[in-house]
Amino acid sequence: MDIKQRLKALLQEAEIYRTQGLISEAHDKYKSAADLIHSINKLKNKESLLKAVSEKIRALDSTKEKVDKGAETPELSKKAQDLIKNLFAFSENTDADSAALEGAVALAKFGQFDRAVVELNELLQKEAVRVEAAKNILRCHLASATVDEAISQYHEWFSGDQFQPQQLEAVRIYLDEILQKRGLTMDLPSAQTAEAALLEETAVEAETIVEAEEEFLDITSIGITFDKGPRKGKMVEFDVNFQSGNMLSLIISKQEKEVLEHLAEGMKLQDVQFFSPIAIFNGAGVVASKTQIKAGPKQGDYCLDIRIVSS
Amino acid sequence: MAIFNLKKREIECKVVYYGPGRCGKTTNLEYIFGAYKKQVKGEMVSINTEGDRTLFFDFLPIGLGQIRGCNVRVQLYTVPGQVKYSSTRKLVLRGVDGIVFVADSLEVRREKNMLSLKDLQANLKEYGKSIFKVPLIMQYNKRDLADQGIPLMSIEQMERDLNRQLKAPSFSASAVRGDGVGATLKECLKVTLQSLQREFQWAR
Repeated sequence: MDIKQRLKALLQEAEIYRTQGLISEAHDKYKSAADLIHSINKLKNKESLLKAVSEKIRALDSTKEKVDKGAETPELSKKAQDLIKNLFAFSENTDADSAALEGAVALAKFGQFDRAVVELNELLQKEAVRVEAAKNILRCHLASATVDEAISQYHEWFSGDQFQPQQLEAVRIYLDEILQKRGLTMDLPSAQTAEAALLEETAVEAETIVEAEEEFLDITSIGITFDKGPRKGKMVEFDVNFQSGNMLSLIISKQEKEVLEHLAEGMKLQDVQFFSPIAIFNGAGVVASKTQIKAGPKQGDYCLDIRIVSS
Repeated sequence: MAIFNLKKREIECKVVYYGPGRCGKTTNLEYIFGAYKKQVKGEMVSINTEGDRTLFFDFLPIGLGQIRGCNVRVQLYTVPGQVKYSSTRKLVLRGVDGIVFVADSLEVRREKNMLSLKDLQANLKEYGKSIFKVPLIMQYNKRDLADQGIPLMSIEQMERDLNRQLKAPSFSASAVRGDGVGATLKECLKVTLQSLQREFQWAR
C-alpha cells in the first residue's frame, strides 16, 4: 500500500472509531496519521492536513474530558427513579414497609441519594425497618456528602427519642465500623451506655425510694378480715403493741380462741387494713410467728408477729 | 431469578446484554424495540450520560405469549460497558436468567472483549453462578464494518479468544443493520427457557 493510501486508510479508520464513540482508538489513529503526514516530505496541503488532524485530536480530547468528568450519578427524572425502585427491589417480602425499604435502597444504590434519604426518613417511623432505614440514611450521607454529615445525623438521632436504645446502638456500631474502615476513630455516644447509666441512676433512686418506703408509718392497729372460720367475711381489729419496720406485734387474748385457731404461723392474710394516725390503707401480711406468753400479766395470751408484705 | 406465578401460569425472566463499552448492546435493544413491536410490552428506557453512553442500564420488556401453557414475559437489560461502572453492572446482573455477551469485532477492541468477559465471570461468581452453567450466547457484533475496510477480527479468532472453553452458541451480527440480532435473542430465549424448565419444570 502506498503512503497516501495508508494515510487515507488511517484517517478513515480514525473517523469510524470516532463515530463509534471509541475515543482512545480514534485518538491513536489520528496521532498515527499526523506522524505519517509529518514523514511525507512532498505532500500537497501538508499544513492544512496537519491542522485538520490536530483539530480532530483536540475535539477528541475535549470529548474525553467531558466523558471522564461527566457526573457519575446525575439526579434522574422521577419516572426513571420509579423504574429503578420497581426493577431493583429484589425482596420477596410482601409487607409494604420492607418493599418500600428495598425501593429506597435501590435508589441509593443508583446514586439517587436525595430521594432515597426522603423515603428512608419516612421509614424511620416504622418500627420494623427503622434500624435498616437509619443505616441506609448514613450510607447515603457517607456516599453523597461528608463523614461529618453522617456523624451529625447520628448525634441528632441520639438526642431525639425516636429510637429505642438497642436500635440506636445497632446504628452506632454500624457507623463506627464504617468510620474505623476509613481509619477514623470517633467517640460516638452509646445509647446503651447512656441507658446503663440511666438504669444505675434509676436503681439508686429506686433504692432510695425503697429505703424511704421502709420507714413505715406508725401503725396503731390493724383490721384482719377472715376468709374462713366462724368470723369468715368479718373484720376483726387488733391493737399493735410494738412495731419494728414492717413487722407488727400484736397481743391476742387467750379468750379469742376461734381467732387464734385461724391465725397459724406462715398464714397469708390477704385482706388487712392498717390504721395509722395519718392514714388508713389496705394491704396484706403474713403471720411470721405465734408465741404464747409464758409469764407476766399477759401470761397465756399470744403474741403474734405479722409482717406487712404489701400495702 | 425468574418469577413464576403458577396460579396465573406466568413466567417473567431476565436477560442481560453484557459486553465492553460501545460494543452495541444498546443498539441491539433499539433494534428489537423497533423490529419486534408485537412482542414489545412497553417503552424502552435508556439512562444515558455524556456521549450517549449507557449510565445505568437500558430496559425493554417483551412478551413471548403462551409457551407450553405459560405466558412468558422477558425483561431485557443492558449494562453500562465502561469499566468505571463496575458496581452498576453487578447490580443489573443480579437475578439474571440468560446473558447475551456482545463482543466488538474491531481488532482494536480485542483486549476489551476479553476483559469484559472476565468481568462477567467475576460478577456471576459473586452471585454464586458459573459462567459455564448460566445460559449464555455470544454475539460478534459490528461485522458490517468490514465493508468499510476497518480491520476486524475473524470469527475464528473471536471464537478462540472468547468461546474456546465456554462453547456457547455464537452469532455474527451487525446491530445497526439488525443482522443477527433476532437470531441471537431467539437462541438466548430458547436456552434460557430450557434452563428454567430443567430447574423448575414449569412446562408440562
